[in-house]
Formats: sequence, structure tokens, C-alpha cells
Amino acid sequence: MKEYRNMASILIKNGHVVDPKNNFSEMADVLIQDGVIAKVGYGITDVADTIIDAKGLVVSPGLVDLQVHFREPGREDRETIMTGSRAAIKGGVTSAVAMPNSTPEADNQAVIEFVIKRAREVGLINIYPTGTITKGQKGGLLAEMRELKNSGAVAVTDDGSDVQDPETLRKAMEYAKTHDILIMSHCETDTLTGGGVMHEGWVSTQLGLPGTPAVSEDLAVIKNITLAELTGVRLHLLHNSTIGAMDYIRRAKEKSNNITAEVSVQHFSLTDEECLGYNTDAKMYPPLRSSDHVEEVVKAIKEGVIDALTTDHAPHIEPDKLLPFADAAMGSVGLETSFAVMNTYLVEAGHLTLEEGLSLMTNKPANIININKGHLGVGADADIAIFDLKRDWVVDPKVLESKGKNCVFKGKKLKGKAIHVIVGGEVKMQNEEILR
Amino acid sequence: MSDKNEANLIDIRAGQDVSFFDLYSIDQLTKEDIDLVFKVARGFREAKTAKLTLGKGCTQINCFFEPSTRTQASFDLSAKHLGMDTTNVSGSTSSAKKGESFIDTVETLDSYNVKTIIIRSSEAGIPEIASRHVAASVINAGDGWHEHPTQGLLDSLTMLDYFGTNDMSGRTVTIVGDIRHSRVFGSLVRMLKKLNATIRVAAPNTLLPEKVENFGLETFSEIEEALQGADVVYALRVQEERGSKGFIPTLREYSKTFGITESRLDLAKKEAILMHPGPVIRDIDVHSALVSRHQKSQILRQVENGMAIRKALLWFLVHRYDGAVKKYERI
Repeated sequence: MKEYRNMASILIKNGHVVDPKNNFSEMADVLIQDGVIAKVGYGITDVADTIIDAKGLVVSPGLVDLQVHFREPGREDRETIMTGSRAAIKGGVTSAVAMPNSTPEADNQAVIEFVIKRAREVGLINIYPTGTITKGQKGGLLAEMRELKNSGAVAVTDDGSDVQDPETLRKAMEYAKTHDILIMSHCETDTLTGGGVMHEGWVSTQLGLPGTPAVSEDLAVIKNITLAELTGVRLHLLHNSTIGAMDYIRRAKEKSNNITAEVSVQHFSLTDEECLGYNTDAKMYPPLRSSDHVEEVVKAIKEGVIDALTTDHAPHIEPDKLLPFADAAMGSVGLETSFAVMNTYLVEAGHLTLEEGLSLMTNKPANIININKGHLGVGADADIAIFDLKRDWVVDPKVLESKGKNCVFKGKKLKGKAIHVIVGGEVKMQNEEILR
Repeated sequence: MSDKNEANLIDIRAGQDVSFFDLYSIDQLTKEDIDLVFKVARGFREAKTAKLTLGKGCTQINCFFEPSTRTQASFDLSAKHLGMDTTNVSGSTSSAKKGESFIDTVETLDSYNVKTIIIRSSEAGIPEIASRHVAASVINAGDGWHEHPTQGLLDSLTMLDYFGTNDMSGRTVTIVGDIRHSRVFGSLVRMLKKLNATIRVAAPNTLLPEKVENFGLETFSEIEEALQGADVVYALRVQEERGSKGFIPTLREYSKTFGITESRLDLAKKEAILMHPGPVIRDIDVHSALVSRHQKSQILRQVENGMAIRKALLWFLVHRYDGAVKKYERI
């Protein structure tokens, strides 16, 4: 990436530059030359091909999202790498980790190579594919993890279907450890979830819907952490949402540096009350939890227990959400709202500083998958998102770039929006218009 | 005779309307709605099976996505006694059937210009969601584990009329059985709260839903304790499949622990009544001798009140004096 590319230079003037990794947060200019950060400082006078006036705006490393579902190959009716990338750009996300539950699943090199090729052709954002842990995400035979890694997978995960059998998970971890492969685990105990379709609690009782108990997640978190400690594998826990999960993760991190954990932005911002009225946009896994869990998640984020904030961007076609709640598809789109949700519910709400919040969406997630992204150090790839923190807006799914209009933040008033986005030294969005 | 009956009913209703267009949850009802519906229902109860013309020219579809015999017959006969035309639709809401969305189904039925659509479904929420998309008034005839509002109304009417009161303040209702999977409970508990009753539930913890106490009730593991001094003993059916799913070890043990026997019933107040939504599993939920012949049993009275409640509701929904029109949105 560092070779001479003879690209146009860009000078971002007068912005509030926030670079959490380098503990930098002040008014400054950023000069981009040949696709990388050339200078960061006050009053840069170099001549540049493009000047972006960032007065009143925040200049941040482009966001790194560890969990998105782009549906390609196989379910291009839900999302494609093109539409998913456009949604990412709109939200200031410049790097995204694609989950392997495409059709077919990314349990083989061919799918990984296809995703990387399509991402390059689309050329909007950096997409990092993941492979599966087991063949067909079935929880049985191991996938060819080393081949997946060599093809470009940054981690292996069985995504929505947690490996249920502890013995299989142990072997997968031992094998992954052999080849220094990161395991990402979605924590769920299938038999405890049973027919559950939302968080088990007062709201599920009022709605008469089968509940998914928090212990379904808690027990799986314990299982994953215990086996990771045994095997020494690097483990990343996807979208955690319960009091128990926060507690076990906190304790595990005191003992080991090999365990990281994320929270998806909907799990610190919304409660299970979103399901009232049988709102299928609020159906997801983990389910939106009751306020006691949400409060604990926020507390854990404040304490630094959590390493990354993600979207779990999950686009669906309309008919799959126009079903009885129990039958409706799970998940919500989120790439176009994640920064605003973080800013509104964590920064504006006084739980985190802007720098802390951005760190959980830039350098810290980049560290987990070991990529030299998410910061503005000289020589770093010039992936930059420029946000207007003061912008109030109401989420209207109809105008989203994503094919999925299933957005749990529909109608919510948020604060903060991406205005300009640069990826690899090229302006991809200017004044909220994607340049293509 | 119908002329006299109708004149009497019109007199009782006195040009009043209810505040709702659809009924999918007891939560929708105001105290005024409840009083009004009960007042008119009592009039219908007097009219017995008289063929009336209050709903003439109106059509009802009984849309039963889940099979039912008793409730469907009750809704169907109620409409017919009002002079309405009815037809039955059965089917499935399940996505497993990969067919038309249930919303498209009800929108199609609505296009026949029907006035009322009665919906029963095995999944919670179907009537509420359907109601947003149709011009017709939707009545929930039972949705999953959620609610069965007409049952809640008829149960309350039965209690109030037995005690000759408009309110259950100072009276204790003990509900026994499978609370977790019961839509009858869902509506009954909401009604009893509105009527200020003291509510007790008795069941093994496996058959209680999460945070059930948030409804404002007390839970008991000992049936004897729960029955002590109760005014109403309300038994819910325990289905055999619950046993096989491990909620209870056996029906035998359940029956021994929570079944309503004559001696247990004696723990309640002397004037206490026994109720059950049916179908009763004799000797499991309730001792066989108590079901219909026992003087405390109100089980058949409940069925009779069901017809009266449904007729009253249908009349309110198909004929409004205030001319208000329901708002809805097609998908």
C-alpha cells in the first residue's frame, strides 16, 4: 500500500482533528499525499490538489466496523457489496469486517477471494472478510481455517450460529491457535434460547412472546472464555448485551490479553420496549435487552471493558420483516447510523468523551483484527471521516443507501452526521454526496 | 319479539359509542368502555337468541389462522343473531408455508367491504398488526400467549354479576394453572387490574412468565395458601404437551399439587365461585364433580356471557352513532 501512487493530494483545513490512538485532539490541518497521511499540524501551507474546509467539523480516522452482513454472494436482493459499501460511506465507515454467512457460506477460499475481488472492483471501502469456524456453520467439521486465513480472512466465526458443542469449539480454538487465527464468537446457547424471539422479561410477558433469557448469552460467554483461556487462542466476543456477559468479560480481561469484546450500538442505546406493538425491526440477536442490562452495558463501556462498538448491520427484504413477530427475520441495518448513535447516546449523554467514543470505533477495533488503520499517524492509510457533530436528524429508512430498510432507529432523532469521507486518499463522499 | 328487544337495546345504549375501532388488547379499554359494553351485554343476555336486525347488511369474516370450535361458533352465532352475514376463513400465518403474507390475506378480505374481521392466531400480535391495515374492525379471538380480550370481558362480567357489583375492590381472585402459555390469563389479569381486584396466581415456577408480578399480583407455590379466603377461583387448562416439554413432571403430579378439588375449594370463601375458560380437562385442572353441577361452578354461565359480550361488541363496532371513521394504512 505504500508504493508511489501519484495520487492527488488533499488538504483538510481548520478541522478539530481527533486521533485517539495518538492522543491527539485539537484544531489542526491534515495533509494527504499519495494515499497516506503526510502531515498533521496547525497551519499547513503546502499546495494541494483538493482543499476541504473542515471548519466546525470533526476530522476522525475512518470508522472500523467489526461486524457487517453484506449478503453477497447469494442474497444480493438483501444487500450487495456495492450497496453495503455505499451505506458504510454514508456513515463514515471506511473499513468493515464482513461476516461469513453468505450463500454459500465463506467456509472455503473461493468465497473469501470472491468477496475481496468484489470489494476491490467496487472500490469504495476496505472490506475484510471472515471465514467460518465449521463447514457450513454447522458446528461439526472444522473449516479449512489456514486456507481461509491465507486467502485473506481476518478471523473465523460461525456468526449467528455459535458452535454449540464445547468439544468442537475446543478443537477449533486449538487449531486456530496453531495458526494464530482470531476466533470471533456469537454467544448463544441454543437450547436456552429455544423458541425465544425477544429478550425474556416484562415486555415479552406483556406481548405474550416467547423470550430468550439473558443466561443463553451468559453461559455461552463463559464457555467461550473458559475454552479460550485453556487453549490460549485469540478470542473476540461479538455483540455482547447482558449483565452477565459484562461481568465475565471484565473478569476474563483481568487475566488475559487474548480476549476482546464488542457491543453493537443498539445494545447500549435501545431497550426491549422497542418491540412493543410487535415492531419486527426491533427483532434481532442478541435481542434488545431490558434497561437493567442496557445500564450495565453502558457502565462496562465507560469502564473500558469493551474494545469496540459495531453495527451488526443486517439488511433484510421487506417481506421477511412483514411477518408475525415470531417468524420475522432478525437484525437491523446500522452502518448509516452508528456514529450518530454513539455520539447521541454515549457522548451527548455524558458517558464518554468524543475521543473515547471514537477510539472504540477506530483504532481499538483495528487492533483486534491487526490492521494498520483507524489512526492518523504520518504514513497511515488516508482513511478519514469528517463529521458534523451538531447536525440533528431523524432517521428515515426510505432514504438509506442500504437495500435493507429494516432500521431499528427509524424515527429516532440523532445528532451527528458524516459530511466528507476519504478512503485510501480518495474523496469518496463530499458534502454528503457519494462521488461515483 | 325482535322489535321489543331492539328497542330495549337501543334504549340501553342511548346513542353512546366505545372509544376503540378494533379490540386486540384489554389495554385499549377505558373504564367507560367497560361499563358501557357490560351494560349493553346484559341487554343482549336478556334477548337470548332473538334474531335481531341491528347488524343487518354487515358482513363478518371469522379468520381463524388457528383452529377453534367454541370461540369461532360463539362469534359466528353472535353475528348471525345481529342479522349479519358471516363466512369463515382458515389458514396459516406461518412463514414456513412460504405463501402470502398474513397482512396481504387480511387486506384482501377487507376489500370485500366486510365490517368485522375476527382473528385467531397461534402467534402473538397478528390481530394488532392486521388492524392497522384494514378498514374493518378487527377483534382478537386469541393470539398466541398474548390475549383473548372477549374472554377477559366475559369472565369479568360473570364475576361482577355474580357479586352484584361494578368493581372488584376488596375481592380476591386466585388464578391457578398454566399462566405462562395462557392468553386467557393475559386478558383476565388486565381486566382484573382495571376492576381493582386483588390477584393471586398459583402455579409451578415453570408455568409463570418472567416478571409476572409486574402485573400487580402475588404468586404462590402452595395452592392451599392461594385459595385461602378467595372470592373467585379461576382454573386454567394445563395442556398435556406442557408435560412432555418438561414444564411439569407429569399431569398426575400437577393434578395432585394444583388440581381444584372439593376440599381445596372449601378453603375459599363460602360464597366463592369456580371459573374455567374451557375446555376443562376433568380431574386434571378441576375435579370432575365440580365442573358443571357444583353450585359454585360458573363455567356454563361464562359461555352464556361470552355470546352476550360478543354481540354487544359487534354492535358497537358495526354501528357508530358518532360517525367516526377508522384510520388505517395499506402496506
